[in-house]
Amino acid sequence: MSEPQPTSDALANLLAGYQPPAGTYDELIGPDGRPRPHWHALLKDFAGMGINQRRTAGSTAEGLLREHDVAYVAAEGGSRRPWHLDVFPLVIAPEDWQKLEAGLIQRAKLLNAVVGDIYGDQDLLKSGTLPAPVVFANPYYIPHCHAYKAADDVFLQFQAFDLARAPDGSWWVLSQRTESPAGIGYTLENRIVTSRSIPDQFNANNLHRLAGFFRSFSEQLARISDQHLAVVLTGGPDEQDYFEHALIGRYLGYPVVESADLTVRDNRVFLKTLEGLERVDVIIRRIDSDSSDPLELRSVPGHGIAGLLQAARSGNVMMANAIGSGVACSEALLSFMPGLCKRLLGEELALPSIASWWCGQPKEREFVLNNAQRLSVRHAFARRSLLTAGAFEFGETDPALADPALLKDRLALRPYDYVGVEHIRPSTVPCLTADGMLKPVPMVMRVYLAATESGYQLLPGGLVKVSGKDLGTESHLSKDIWVLSNREIERETLIQPLRAATLKRSDRDLPSKTADDLFWLGRYLERADGGVRLYRNLFLRLAGEASLGNVPVALNILTSLLVSQGRLSPSRARRALAAGSRAVEHEIWNILFDPDSPDSLAQVLRNVARTADHVRERLSPDTWRIIERLTSVPNLRWRVHTVSDAVSVLNDLVEAQSAVNGLIHENMTRGYGWRLLDMGRRIERARYIIRVMRELIVRADRDHPGVLGLQLELADSLITYRSRYRAEPQIPAVLDLVLADESNPRSLSFQLATMRGHMEVMPLEDIHGHLSRAQKLLISMHTEVLLADVDKLANTTSRSGNRTHLNRVLNRCEKGIENLTDLITQTYFSHSVGHRVTGNVIRENADDAV
Amino acid sequence: MLYDVRHETRFKYASPVTISHQLLKLRPRRSSRQNVVSTELDVTPHPFVQREWTDYFGNAVQFLTVQEAHRELVIASISRVEVLPGMNIMLDFSPGWEVVAQSMQSPTNAEALSASQFCFESPYVDVHDDLRQFALKTFTPGRPLLDATMALTSRIYEEFTYQGGVTDVSTPVRRVLELKKGVCQDFAHLQIACLRAIGLPARYVSGYLMTHPPEGKEKLQGADESHAWLSVWCPELGWVDFDPTNNLIPNLEHVTIGWGRDYGDVSPVSGFIFGGGKHEVAVGVDVVPTTASVA
Repeated sequence: MSEPQPTSDALANLLAGYQPPAGTYDELIGPDGRPRPHWHALLKDFAGMGINQRRTAGSTAEGLLREHDVAYVAAEGGSRRPWHLDVFPLVIAPEDWQKLEAGLIQRAKLLNAVVGDIYGDQDLLKSGTLPAPVVFANPYYIPHCHAYKAADDVFLQFQAFDLARAPDGSWWVLSQRTESPAGIGYTLENRIVTSRSIPDQFNANNLHRLAGFFRSFSEQLARISDQHLAVVLTGGPDEQDYFEHALIGRYLGYPVVESADLTVRDNRVFLKTLEGLERVDVIIRRIDSDSSDPLELRSVPGHGIAGLLQAARSGNVMMANAIGSGVACSEALLSFMPGLCKRLLGEELALPSIASWWCGQPKEREFVLNNAQRLSVRHAFARRSLLTAGAFEFGETDPALADPALLKDRLALRPYDYVGVEHIRPSTVPCLTADGMLKPVPMVMRVYLAATESGYQLLPGGLVKVSGKDLGTESHLSKDIWVLSNREIERETLIQPLRAATLKRSDRDLPSKTADDLFWLGRYLERADGGVRLYRNLFLRLAGEASLGNVPVALNILTSLLVSQGRLSPSRARRALAAGSRAVEHEIWNILFDPDSPDSLAQVLRNVARTADHVRERLSPDTWRIIERLTSVPNLRWRVHTVSDAVSVLNDLVEAQSAVNGLIHENMTRGYGWRLLDMGRRIERARYIIRVMRELIVRADRDHPGVLGLQLELADSLITYRSRYRAEPQIPAVLDLVLADESNPRSLSFQLATMRGHMEVMPLEDIHGHLSRAQKLLISMHTEVLLADVDKLANTTSRSGNRTHLNRVLNRCEKGIENLTDLITQTYFSHSVGHRVTGNVIRENADDAV
Repeated sequence: MLYDVRHETRFKYASPVTISHQLLKLRPRRSSRQNVVSTELDVTPHPFVQREWTDYFGNAVQFLTVQEAHRELVIASISRVEVLPGMNIMLDFSPGWEVVAQSMQSPTNAEALSASQFCFESPYVDVHDDLRQFALKTFTPGRPLLDATMALTSRIYEEFTYQGGVTDVSTPVRRVLELKKGVCQDFAHLQIACLRAIGLPARYVSGYLMTHPPEGKEKLQGADESHAWLSVWCPELGWVDFDPTNNLIPNLEHVTIGWGRDYGDVSPVSGFIFGGGKHEVAVGVDVVPTTASVA
């Protein structure tokens, strides 16, 4: 396809339908009706792309976002929603940005000083610069944070501001985010996706890169953290913006931990790792202040670290941001910013806030009551998420306050809780429509500042949000921001994690909870693998589609296999068996595809998804993508109508699983994390082999070529057997292959040998050169299997027809594996969750419950 | 009045506790009406870490960590406290309550500013319109602050039944208002919420009652345990205590440990433990008048 040259015609075409509404500022079109100069480069290129290519760029971006699984959790439902991006960026001129930069840095400095004063001398309250209720009525004010020692007096390491541009072209601050501002991870992701979707345009513009900002921030943290660890503290995968917690951790090279991973000892914070406790100096806090310490603050089960506040208050751990920082987020503060600036910095406030009237003052309250229709009336201390909102929702009146009578009542009871904010008429920005054209849509933008050694630094970029409804879609869109520079920009890449070069080789700071998750991920993956192999074989046999050379197997044996693997309850098995092969087939359908059945494959795969989510920052993007594919397969039930459909779904699963295994094998560094994951696999595989053998081979009355064939197939060893023996399966040879043959990666002895290897390297288990309990256990199992006489195993049978010798070996191994699992759990995952107790018997209360 | 106070908290656990952090607010507070002659803490097993500080509200805080495995933890706080008689308060001579509420909107001196932080919702005290309506029945226009507060104290005493086991820490104040039942903590929170709902500063006081009253005098409700009441701020006079559980203004029979916005700020013993399984708590309080010399 030949590309049309960028001509003024193409440009005119692109802009033909672009009509900004009157009375607002348009980012693209100037007052003369022509594009502003800083857009020229992008526009020219973009017009040159042609409609098709522009649409392709849009779908490339959507594809990349899907592939990176960029999502957020909607606050209401708790379901994950995909993140959406419009590839057409907002371009900002250098001089425009410089002005903004100065104003934002001043504001960041100011807010930091405000927080310092609130938790310090409270001069602002004593002097009346700030009315006391703005602080005391604020639920995010935490009195216990008084006398907080912040390193270098920086309470707010990280801040964000939401801005809108007024019709006259000046910027207004809509809100200030000081608690733990969200969105910078999404900003990074937007940049990566945008630059890949329109690479030529990205390279043709001389725009600021984002990496430098992150480097300065991370250097600052490194400076403060001395020699110890910095961690990202998250509430876990159910958090709205967990995606970016993992991303920030990966990007900055810090472990992503949950509250249960940390502990306070002697007023210092430690990370529980496989090798014991590691001192933590810096916590990038992504959990709420008020639930960060269940001892001194609110007690929310599973949240917070007992003793954290005291450790932080005494300066023994640097919190970014300080606990209690959220006090400065309130919209009640906005109208006082000019006075605060004069008082604390001795300067005029450079960047104005949107006009607001805080109802804690009589005159302002009166004004809001009389002008409620013209204002957005909202809770002054409520937190509004930009992630879930578009531009318009941002400026809306709280629907609960729309009724004037109700508003009056509310204002009478708690006036200080409310604020009236001027309606915003934000600037419009060009957005790419579904048909590849541009359309002006109202926007707000979020920008970020971080404390660095040389003071606050502004990220030269940010996040634009527009409402989806302006573009005829349900979901809100985000955009990248390109800040142009007059100077030549050094090309830096964002993709490389910052600390890659300095990362330690071993994962000594692997949090024990993450280790636990990796162990379970291995176990669930293997359970899914065993399950899928089992079902595939059963389906084929039930349907009479058994491949060449397979001999049919009695129905009761097939059913008992499912029971022995814990996939089907004995009572259901009995019932199905009595009803015949259709009923058994029906049960297998259920196990496979019924999302509500506790035994179903869907359940196992959900567990894979959940544990993978917990360790996401340790998986490569490719591995993650395949795991996503794997775990979404059971949702495709509608596709399955016949046995051959089911088999093809199962084949897909086997393939996806092989891919996950391959990627983990190829890409994960051979650290403790990988070893534990592999231990999990080996444990499950060993259990699987033992159980299948017990069902199929221990009972001599089941000796039958079909059963032996099934045994080999379930152990994925049929091909090996055929190539080796070229004969019908015989018991001793089968036993040798699946039990004792160390060259067969599916044999029991192979699993035991591999686990021995792992346990020789794992920490804590090698004490003063002696063998650990786990090692002893493994050696004894392994030796028993290796020394077993296959003929004797095959031929020693009891009167009832059981191979007693074999059965004993299998039982001992199964018991041994169970003990090994307990040992591993006790040794490495002792992150027991604590709970709160009170010495108050006036009432036995809810949070006493264990 | 001189008292020997012993407050013992005994935790028994079904399985060993490996780490136990305890935050204690047990030390009686020195004030113009209370003289602390001696105070000590006795903890078994012996804590590995022990620190002390003064919290934002001026209460003594003791923090300790027991790091050896244990199935029983005993925390005993032993003090000798002298309670001095309060001044005679003329309830009628206090300013009208609206004036005080108004002054809290923009406090003009340090004392008022400090009082104003007790005018708002706090984690255990929700401020709702029902509470405001309840309060306004007593707080009629122009009524002197302390007179109205005492009347509200009496109303709670008369309209509510003291009954354990119907509420717990998480029971919202509004629910207590509906139930018309509860214990000292609920009544203190309830009255605090009523006062704050009409813009008045009220704080939560934690302490004890004399456990062995002189012969012929009835034992007060809430003795043998930790007790709680409230305090309201009045210009000129400062903080004045009220005990809605016993319908009185505390004088010589109340020993004060400390105060805060609500129970959460002054909970006497709150801990965070690892392990332990099911646990039992036994609390014993003795407040016995003594004739030993103050010195």
